[in-house]
Amino acid sequence: MRATGHGRRKARALPRAGFALLVAAILVSSLLPFLWILRTSLMSSREFSGGVAGLLPADLTFSSYAENFADETFLRSLGNSILICLASTVLSVLLATLAGYALARLRIRGAGIILGFVLLAGFFPVLAMVGPLFLVYRELGLLDSPAGLVIAYMVYTLPLATWLLKNFFDQIPGSLEEAAMVDGATRLQVLWRVVVPVALPAVFTAAILSFILAWNDFAFAVSFLQTPSEFTAPQAIVNFGQSQFQIFYNRIDAAVVVITLPVVLLVLFAQRRIVSGLTAGAVK
Amino acid sequence: MRIARLTVALTTGLALVTACGGTDGGKSDGADAGGGPETIVFALAGLGPEGEATQAAIKDFERANPSIKVEVQVLSTDATQYLQQLQHRFVAGSGTPDVFKVDGIYPASLAKAGWLLDLDTLKPDLGAFMPSSLTAGRYQGKTYAVPWFINTEGLFYRTDLVKVPPKTPEELVAAAQAAMKANPKVKYGLAFEGAKYEGAITAFLAMAGGFGGKLDPANLDTPENRRALRFMRDSIHQTKIAPQAVTGWKEGEVQQAFSSGQAVFALNWPFVFSASEGMPAAGKIGFAPFAGTGATLGAEMLAINGKSAHTAASWKLIQHLTSADVQVKRALATGNPPSVTAAYNETLFAEAPYFKQVQKVAEVAVQRPVATNYPKISDRLQTMLSSVLSNLTPPEQALTTAASEVRDIAANG
Amino acid sequence: MARPSSDRLGYLLVAPTVLILLSITAFPLAYNLWNSLRHVVLTDPSSAGFAGLENYRALLGDPQFAQVLARTSLFTVVSVSVQMAVGLMVALVLHRRFRGRGLVRAAVLIPWAVPTVVAAISWKTMLDPQSGVLSFLFGVDTAWLAGEWTAWIAIAVADGWKTVPFVAIILLAGLQVIPGDIYEAARVDGSGAWHAFWKLTLPLLKPALMVALIFRTLSALLIFDVIFILTGGGPGDTTETLSYVTWREFLVESDFGGGGAVSVLMLVLSLVIAGAYTRLFRLDRREG
Repeated sequence: MRATGHGRRKARALPRAGFALLVAAILVSSLLPFLWILRTSLMSSREFSGGVAGLLPADLTFSSYAENFADETFLRSLGNSILICLASTVLSVLLATLAGYALARLRIRGAGIILGFVLLAGFFPVLAMVGPLFLVYRELGLLDSPAGLVIAYMVYTLPLATWLLKNFFDQIPGSLEEAAMVDGATRLQVLWRVVVPVALPAVFTAAILSFILAWNDFAFAVSFLQTPSEFTAPQAIVNFGQSQFQIFYNRIDAAVVVITLPVVLLVLFAQRRIVSGLTAGAVK
Repeated sequence: MRIARLTVALTTGLALVTACGGTDGGKSDGADAGGGPETIVFALAGLGPEGEATQAAIKDFERANPSIKVEVQVLSTDATQYLQQLQHRFVAGSGTPDVFKVDGIYPASLAKAGWLLDLDTLKPDLGAFMPSSLTAGRYQGKTYAVPWFINTEGLFYRTDLVKVPPKTPEELVAAAQAAMKANPKVKYGLAFEGAKYEGAITAFLAMAGGFGGKLDPANLDTPENRRALRFMRDSIHQTKIAPQAVTGWKEGEVQQAFSSGQAVFALNWPFVFSASEGMPAAGKIGFAPFAGTGATLGAEMLAINGKSAHTAASWKLIQHLTSADVQVKRALATGNPPSVTAAYNETLFAEAPYFKQVQKVAEVAVQRPVATNYPKISDRLQTMLSSVLSNLTPPEQALTTAASEVRDIAANG
Repeated sequence: MARPSSDRLGYLLVAPTVLILLSITAFPLAYNLWNSLRHVVLTDPSSAGFAGLENYRALLGDPQFAQVLARTSLFTVVSVSVQMAVGLMVALVLHRRFRGRGLVRAAVLIPWAVPTVVAAISWKTMLDPQSGVLSFLFGVDTAWLAGEWTAWIAIAVADGWKTVPFVAIILLAGLQVIPGDIYEAARVDGSGAWHAFWKLTLPLLKPALMVALIFRTLSALLIFDVIFILTGGGPGDTTETLSYVTWREFLVESDFGGGGAVSVLMLVLSLVIAGAYTRLFRLDRREG
């Protein structure tokens, strides 16, 4: 089969059906696990454990969701996750704005090394940090506390946010700031009044990505948190829906749906920002 | 060369970091510094019916002892994680929880670390407890924990498919195969916990008992244990009475397979009776030792933190929880078998006759090894069982390797 | 242009970020180094003391650890290769214009945003021999997690499901910055699509490929969450990886000396790989 050129042209040569099939395969494999979980979550425990379920739940019920939301430990874990992830998001975006601006605009000796270190920190093996931080947190009383996680989560969020914002500041023309400084404003005033408003899209992008990355954590939570009332949501569902021996898959799956929903919504509403944030600097 | 320079930057940064540590203070433990009632913290695992029964017992206790308030701390339902959570508190030198539930395989290691109160100082009435369940709480001749409730893993069988419980493993295989052939709804001959976790060890111990084997850390590689291990593997890969899926099953999946009427036999704990209510298997459930003699004793023990400031109040709570009346109530609500002999009485049998069967299984049930480093032994055994059940290593070879590892671990205290 | 007074401000603004990152990365590294030379077993406080290189000797002399290293590396190489190939395919598809492309792009991004734990639990449910999708559709009752190879396949699938979107997004961005007129020129030359792909697309995509490759290699090497949920290291110990062993040493055995030694080795390995990639990348750029 000979095709000429690229892109749209290739489409004519490739059989249309084949391409549609490929798209369908991508769609299905992306969504199927989620739909399967959704299906189980809408079954009654009886139907599930009966072992003979149809494609759709025979007696469709939201009882698993109702039971989950009546369960204090589940609600708490959701609250904990939201609180911890928001706190580390806000904190890292704030710090990254300051650092990114300084690295982009101010004269700092070793700026290259600093930026290199910040990026490298993002590649640090998380499980290697778990042990020593555990020992330190034990001394500081940070085990079993949201504060300990907020600090640890910076390793996910700060490198990315700093890199993103520094890149963005690099692209803003300096003329605006110079004009403001001629008017007698200080650097910090310039940063808040002139630069940050212009950089708001990048700040939002950094915040969204930070939140998703923090929401994703399991290793730190499972290592540092000991009391179920302090658990984060991803950690809670691992032990979820079990009394001492019995296990309720429909409730686990309902919980999975609930904690996935926030990120799915984020993706649907902020797709462009997420993509631009992920690829910033990757393709230059 | 950037990397080299970075490492320099990293290490120089350390001085700064260590210097600015320690600014945050530790959490304070003094929840009950004021006057008012004395508050004791009681750590336990598990929600659901067990949790409700415990809450009810605690309310009774608080009513009878108005000067004591019990604060319940719920830890993980996973036995291994539960232990870690307790250990982290003890390592930190915490005085709470004052009193706590602990799986019968762990008191020895906690006692060795010096974290438990010697209960003999409180003059407990040890004669009231089922004798076999006491050993788990003893270490170097002293009592560090008493049983709260016991649990017995034995063989569940469907009374409508099997007239009498099998006396030998061969009989079990034959009966399972016959029932599977006769009834298309019966998909599995035997279900047991085969996932890589503690439960696989209790299932193995119950089967080993049926072959005359036992779990002696100093001598695991016995002909009886070899035969039991081979039986376990063959049930999946040769006689095929157990589905391959059991390699991922824990108690919950085993119970679901049995309660839903899909399994003839299942190794499990007495909660199956109450969990099967309203399910196809209800009313057709028999419970007996595996092959006449095999059963595992699990005990949930109660112990007191050696650093607790409220030992007297904590002990009162333990006495309350182990009194016959409270134990009968719990047994009826949760299916947890009582740990005191006096609780196996007419009140209990009248409402839940199956406790007669449980008592019979309890009589032959044996404990897992009492060893100070049981968690490490357990880790090796879990890996060994997982490897054999997945048919990756021949049973004999796996047992020989694990036996020597376990012997070393046990010897090096 | 910047005034002298800006200098101090610059350091001040960078300081919090650098200090926090130092204290959660460089400091643990050093603490690990220190611990790795000592006996630190929390459940056995009496054994504490200096150990020299004993922890390393125990680790490197342990044939099981050699297996852990080997299987972690093998998994990394194989899974990253497959992920890159599939990611490239998805990127090429998404690069074409078709109706509903926006929707498909969003759908592809969802697995990336889903927490890893959720991805692992979903796939565990999907692969369940009784209630899983394969058993439902085809009556296949294979216990995937019970066999060594099938367990690895399950891990790779769950991990790949979550990470291929990332690769695809990066590569798609790379495709989008390739100017179209290059292909026009190639067309005039009369070279075919396949030829254009190998001679033009791939070389021009190299920066994006490298970025995706670095990210993926390092995170595959450190895989933990998926294994914790799907297999717990089983069957036997056949799916224990570097990160899993580290976690077990720290939090199951409470052995911070042994865990420290594994951590140090793990870190050295990641740094070497990161360094090697960057080096390759730079040499390449200079020549290209």
